[in-house]
Amino acid sequence: MKKHKKIIIVDDDQLFAGLLKRSIDRAGFRGIITANATDAIDAIDDHSPIAIILDVYLPGVNGIALLHELRGHGDLSSIPVILCTNSAQLFDEQTMYAYGIIAVLDKATMLPGDAVSLIKEVCHG
Amino acid sequence: MNVDRGKQCDASINSSVSSSVVAASHELKSPLALIRQLSLSIADNHTPDDEKQKLAEQITLTTERAIRLTNGLTQVSRLQKDFFELEPVNIMRVCQEVTDELFPFFEQYNVSVRVRPRSRSLLALANSDLLKNIIINFIENAVHYSANSKPIEVKMSLIEKGKKVRISIRDYGPTLRKGFWRQLRKQLGSVPQPISSRPMSSGLGLYISGQFAEAMDGRIGMTRHRDGATFYVDIVASQQLALL
Repeated sequence: MKKHKKIIIVDDDQLFAGLLKRSIDRAGFRGIITANATDAIDAIDDHSPIAIILDVYLPGVNGIALLHELRGHGDLSSIPVILCTNSAQLFDEQTMYAYGIIAVLDKATMLPGDAVSLIKEVCHG
Repeated sequence: MNVDRGKQCDASINSSVSSSVVAASHELKSPLALIRQLSLSIADNHTPDDEKQKLAEQITLTTERAIRLTNGLTQVSRLQKDFFELEPVNIMRVCQEVTDELFPFFEQYNVSVRVRPRSRSLLALANSDLLKNIIINFIENAVHYSANSKPIEVKMSLIEKGKKVRISIRDYGPTLRKGFWRQLRKQLGSVPQPISSRPMSSGLGLYISGQFAEAMDGRIGMTRHRDGATFYVDIVASQQLALL
């Protein structure tokens, strides 16, 4: 059986996360949705994803705090993170670099296939 | 001196108006961005027809959420001009009407909402439209925040020796492990904070609810729990209670 590469989607907006998962699954990957930072940590431990798609405003602990947590662990800090947010304008290149973010997708302007294109770029190094 | 004070006052008003505009635009951006993604997905030739139907239903629900928000904003801006009639309102009935109205929304998000029944009716002096808006705001927030299978609870009670009625909406969010909770709490002080620690919220819904509660001589409040939160509104109990 073919083993799909996994992508963790951290977004509390179930409908938006569902759309992302749909396009990711259709592209041959396996999207795993978590709605908060705590579940995301568990999912990252369990699934060893090749990338993480992360929203910023999350219940309880925000996405930036999660990034801090990831950067603090050697084995997790190398997982590419794509921010997918309604507040893309808050993130300049310096901030992205500091948090290890490879790209920022603006939910208001992105196309349904944008996340998959970025993941494919990640896969092909 | 007076000119300076006037300028300070103008600056304060401008700052307040500006914050409200930022909050409103942020809050509206989420449903609009989602509607755009949903319609792009419908337009995608690879999307099967049955899925298109689901996506169309999601557009309807998301649009209704955005409309409720804009209606709330409009009502807040008119609170001082308009006279909102206060009358004895059956709280249980209002809560039931709200949960019936939001049922498709609960189904969409796969959550259940339980209105705790009461043996005796509770009447409050309120405007049923404003009260409904407050409860809808709280429940929408709870639906969004709920992260497990426990149902959201809507509870009604008499407080302050029967002078006021409290309507509480309790949600159950993610439970954080003790060590992880402590560690993250430390980190939270040193990282940029969002507009609000609640999801998809700039606090605008709470602001609207607070204004509506004040217009009915009431107030709103919240209690944080380790596994979620309770939002409540306190309003004056109707004197007709004594006759029941």
